[in-house]
Order: sequence, then C-alpha cells, then structure tokens
Amino acid sequence: MRFIIEHLSKHFEKKEVLKDINFTFEEGKIYGLLGRNGAGKTTLFNCINRDIRSDGGTFYLEADDGRRELRAEDIGYVLSTPTVPEFLTGREFLKFFMDINEKSIQNPRTTEEYFDEISIAPEDRDKLLKDYSHGMKNKMQMLVNMIAEPNILLLDEPLTSLDVVVAEEMKSLLRSLKQGRVTIFSTHIMDLALDLCDEIVLLNHGELEVVEKSNLDSYGLRDKIMLALREEEHE
Amino acid sequence: MSKTLILSFSLKNTYRVNSILYSLKQIPILKRILPDTLYQERGLKIFANVLSVLWEIISVFIGKLLYLLLMVFGAGKLYDRLPDMQVFLHILLFLTLIGGFANTKMFDPSKDKYYAMILMRMDAREYTLVNYAYAILKVVVGFLPLTILFGSLSGLPLWLCFALPFSIAGCKIAIAAASLWDYDRRGGVYNENKLNRYIWIGFGVLLGAAYGLPALEMTVPVKLCVCLMLSFIPMGAAGSYKIFSFQNYREINQELLVQQTNQMDTAAQITKAGVEKKISADTSISSNRKGFEYLNELFIKRHRRILWSATEKIACVCAACIFGAMLILYLYPEMKHEAGKQVKNCLPYFTFIMYMINRGTGFTQALFMNCDHSLLTYSFYKEPKCILKLFQIRLREIMKINAVPGLIIGVGLALILYVSGGAYGWMDYGVLVVSILCMSLFFSVHYLTIYYLLQPYNAGTEIKSGMYKVIMSVTYFCCFYMTWLRIPMMAFGSMMIVFCVVYSVIACVLVYRLAPKTFKIRS
Repeated sequence: MRFIIEHLSKHFEKKEVLKDINFTFEEGKIYGLLGRNGAGKTTLFNCINRDIRSDGGTFYLEADDGRRELRAEDIGYVLSTPTVPEFLTGREFLKFFMDINEKSIQNPRTTEEYFDEISIAPEDRDKLLKDYSHGMKNKMQMLVNMIAEPNILLLDEPLTSLDVVVAEEMKSLLRSLKQGRVTIFSTHIMDLALDLCDEIVLLNHGELEVVEKSNLDSYGLRDKIMLALREEEHE
Repeated sequence: MSKTLILSFSLKNTYRVNSILYSLKQIPILKRILPDTLYQERGLKIFANVLSVLWEIISVFIGKLLYLLLMVFGAGKLYDRLPDMQVFLHILLFLTLIGGFANTKMFDPSKDKYYAMILMRMDAREYTLVNYAYAILKVVVGFLPLTILFGSLSGLPLWLCFALPFSIAGCKIAIAAASLWDYDRRGGVYNENKLNRYIWIGFGVLLGAAYGLPALEMTVPVKLCVCLMLSFIPMGAAGSYKIFSFQNYREINQELLVQQTNQMDTAAQITKAGVEKKISADTSISSNRKGFEYLNELFIKRHRRILWSATEKIACVCAACIFGAMLILYLYPEMKHEAGKQVKNCLPYFTFIMYMINRGTGFTQALFMNCDHSLLTYSFYKEPKCILKLFQIRLREIMKINAVPGLIIGVGLALILYVSGGAYGWMDYGVLVVSILCMSLFFSVHYLTIYYLLQPYNAGTEIKSGMYKVIMSVTYFCCFYMTWLRIPMMAFGSMMIVFCVVYSVIACVLVYRLAPKTFKIRS
C-alpha cells in the first residue's frame, strides 16, 4: 500500500504554505517530518485530515489492486495537545470508541487488555479523563488510534512534553504499530526523528523532499538536514 | 517622571490601537477586505490612533456623565417628595464611598500594568505614581463640569460644585492610602476585582442607604453631607503623603498581577476550565446503552447541574410564580379582569422569558468544550452519519430539557386565564399551551442548529465566527423587541406556532444537508 499526495496546495492570504506537493509514502515506514516553525507541518496534516480545505490536490491509497481516494476512516490523527472527551472515564471512552467502530475493529480485545498494553494503572481506568495527566491523555489518544488500525497515522509532535518513561513507551508502541500502515511523524526534535523514523522528509518552501540517507552516519545526516533547513535563511 | 508618563502612554496607546485593528478584523465582511498586514498599514494605524485619542478624551467624561446623570441626578429625581439638593448630596455621598473602594485607580490588575511592570520591567513606583496621578487628574477634570451642571440643577451653591470633584478624588486617595497602610501592617493586597464577602455586604448596605433611605423620606442632613464630603479633601491630602512615601509598589503589583499573568494567554482556557468544572465527579454515574446513546446519556448525567438541575430549578420558580399569581387572584378577585386581559395580550412577552430560561447556549457550550472539542479530532466522529445521528439525539435531549419549564408556564398561564374567566373558548387554552411549547422547541432547535451549521469555536476554544456572534445578538434583540409588542393571544400564538414549526423543519433540513461539511473545528 502507498499513500499518494498529488498536486496539494494551500495558501493563507498571500503566503503559499504548500506548493503543489506531489509525494508518495510507503507502507511499513515511519516518516519523520521536519521543518522550521511555521513551515506548514500542521497545515499539511490538517489538509490530509480534511480539517481545513486545501486549494487543490488529491489523496489516494494505492494497493496492488488499484487506487482509491482517501477516506476519513483511513486516517488516525494524534495531536501534540492530547484531546480526549473530558467528561468520560478512560474505560467509558474506550467502550464508546469500540461500540462505534465495532464493525471495523478486527480482533477486538477486552478493555483491560488494551489498558495493560499502554500501561495505564487499574486505579486510573475509571477516573474522568479531565483528571488524567498529559501523558495519560496522550496514551489514550494513541490507544484509540491503535485500536482503529488506520491505514495512515498522522502524529503531530506527540512526544513533546512527555516524561522520559512515557516517551520511551510511546516510541516502542509506534515501532510496533508501523507494519501495515504509513506513519507520518512531525517533530522539532532531530534526535527523535533520527532515532525513530525510517525516512526523514523535510517540509521546506512549501515542498516535501526526502533526505537521502545514502551512506551517511547520524552526524552526517544531521549536518545535511541542518544545511537544507538553514538554506532558507540565506534566500 | 515625564519619560515614564510618555512611555506608559505610548504603551497603552499601542495596545489600544492594536485592539482596535484586531476588532476591525473580526467584523464579518470587513475581515475579508482588510489585509493580513493590517498592523503595518499606515492609514489604518492613523485611523486607530485618532480613535484611541478620541476615546481617551471621551473616557474622561462619558462614564462620569452617565454616572451623575443616571445614578445620582436622575435617580434623585425619582424621590419627588424630597428637595433635589438633599437627595443629590445624600446619594453622591454613599456612592462616592462605594466608588472609593470599587474604583480605586490603583488596585485594578489591568493588562497595561502587566505589560509595563512585569513584561517591560518599568520602575513600578514611578509607573504607579505617574499613572495614579494622571487617573486622579482625570477624576477631577472629568467631574468638574458635570458637578457644576448637575449640582447647579439640583440647587447646590457654585463653590460646593467646584469642591465636589476634589472630594471624590480625596475619598479615592484616602482609601488607597489606607489600603497601602494596611498592606504594610498585615501584608494582604487589596484587589478591587476580587472583593471579599464583607466588602460586598458593605456595598449592599451603602447602596441600601443611598437609595433606600430617601424612599423612606430619610436622608443624611445636608450640612452633615457637605461636611463629610469636604472632609475627604484633607483626608486625601494626608493620604497623598502615604502614597508618595510608599516604597513597595513592585511587590503589590507583582501580587496583584500574578493571577493576571495566568490570564494573559489563556482567556479561552479559563472559560474551558470553568465549563470543565461543571462535569459531575459522581462515580456512581453509568449507562447501559451503546454507541452514541451511551455517549449522550453519560454527557447528560454528568452535566446534570447545568442541564436538568437548572431546568428543574427554573420550573420550580415558574410554578411558584404561577401559584403566587393564582393566590393573588383568589385573595383579590377584583384583579381577575385585568389579569385575564394581560394574559391575552402579553404572549409576545413570553418569547423573551422563554429566551431567558432556555438552556440552549449552556448546552452547546458544554457540548463543545467538554465533548466535541476533543472528539472532532477523531475521523470516525466526523463521518456524516455519526454527525447526524448525534444531532438527532442531542436535539431530542435539549427539547426535553427546555420543554419542562415551557409546559409549566403554558399550563400555568392557561390556569390563570381560566381562573380570571377570560377565555373565549378551549382553543384559547390550546393555543396558549402549544405556542409556549413551540417557543421552547424553537430555542432548542435554534441553538443546536446554529451550533452545527456554524460551529464557532477553534481548537483553543475561542469563538471565531463573526456570523455566530451576529446571530446571537440578533436573536437577543428580536426577543427583546417582543417585550414591546402587544398582540392578541390568538393571533400571536397561531403565528408563533406556524413560525416555530416551519423554522424547525427548515433548520433540520439544513443541518442534514450541510452539517457534515460545517461541523468541524475552526482553523
């Protein structure tokens, strides 16, 4: 399966944020999306998730049996600020999510098993989500995206402001989830991108470009990324 | 000192100019015409600067004009059995005392103070003194022509009219100085926006004295009033010494503004936190339903305080009012004729009452803040069939919630009409009950439809739709306008029933057609 973006463009007033983007993402890989502040990473995600209307462009999923347009249920979107319905308990949210997605969840497990998997302690499972910590909310958000098994998982800086333990747990969770789907992970932290991602993609001047790893070691790659992102300043 | 004055002025002015430009950008049609670079546009900046300076000048007088005109002079005219001068001075004395505490000009945690002293690190003592002196000058200059005008109209001697602005300023200075002295002694900073219970009780007593005593034809004697008002002048002069010699302005402002710093970027988050607090922490709440019905039932149960409890309270108050009205009619049968006439002509008035008591805005606000704000980021939640299913469920719930007081008011009015013997036939009763219920239906549908079609909030829970604000205001004004109408019950009731039903049908059709596209978080 491949996720294909064709001719995606988006502008705000006179500023062209995304310029006729054409890009193909491959299944089974985690793509690290890097870009300067204001480069348009969140805009790109919002366009894919249809939260904002793009000026033009189409999204396809391509498999061996042909291509089809992207549908809402193909996408899982984890935001940097976790959003969970505050008036439900963790368990209720999970039950509600599983009720609604009953037909599409393959091999459903019990709520307890799901909670165990993301290490949410038994005493926290029946607390209101509004009283969850930032990290726990983040885990819940990841969990429902995990259960839904979307073809495309968009992650907008999801590990920022998590403590080291939760961040490591989330990283291993993401690695375990990457098979069978396209994962696009936007971040500002280069170490994280290099550590977790299979491919590094830069969003620069409104265009997406892959950073070829060729034979570079981590330091060489780092320099190459910095050079590419800094170029912008000199133009 | 003069540099501080100029700096603080220019800071305040910049802040005000940018606020004006920002407000312009919020007006629905204008925002499309104005460029994103409006903060750089010279012409627009000059325009906003002119407005800002004009406002600075007008603000010296406008509030004081309204205050003296409505609260002192105008209110005084209502007590026609007492001499004008006596009432004028009596009310002014008590209100000046309240103003001394409520509008200190020093202990108000405002944004410009935060910018100047905390962000820009200006010298707190100098900044406070310069701005305080300017504020007091505005009090004197602003009040002077007005006390001369209204004082003379009330028969006060001219010398007293001249002295009154200084008395008002003196009262403020004396109270501010006393608060500083209290800070030195006990350490607590007085915050005029966070008054404690005792001060509120004090205000209540002073207000009661200001307006209640004249109603009983009692006032503080003129001579005593004059003496007290004049005594504020030397007290103010003494207070000035304390204000000038006080050294810890940095400390008190730090303490005053510490809460403000939290508010700076997060006005919307405070609203959100407020709405979040309304979620019931009762752990026994549960639901046996499934899917969206499950979500809805838990939402309704956990928001009982702002939905069902509120509507039950309103219903009880309505029932009590109706019972009271029936009791009056029983005790004073001669009023029946008039009561019947009122009920038959006052139906439009009840549009406003139904507007006031409907739970629509509270419901949609809680829906967004505590539920849709988060769930709308999940793709399954945005699927058209889910949006419509949930709309159906929510409409049913809010209709039930609003129908309870509607039914009580409708039946209650019909009872009053029956007791007063004013109905022409059973149709009258029917129209009365049904039209009130239709009004409750209308408000239920109206708020939920507007919410689904305009979804005004962004991810930061700020209202971003100018159209939403316009519709909310138009709704208010239309309902308010109804209070002026006197239309026979049958005519108005039938029109209302037809209007509400047609509106509801159209609204639901629109939601079914458009909501899948419009119901999303604003960017």
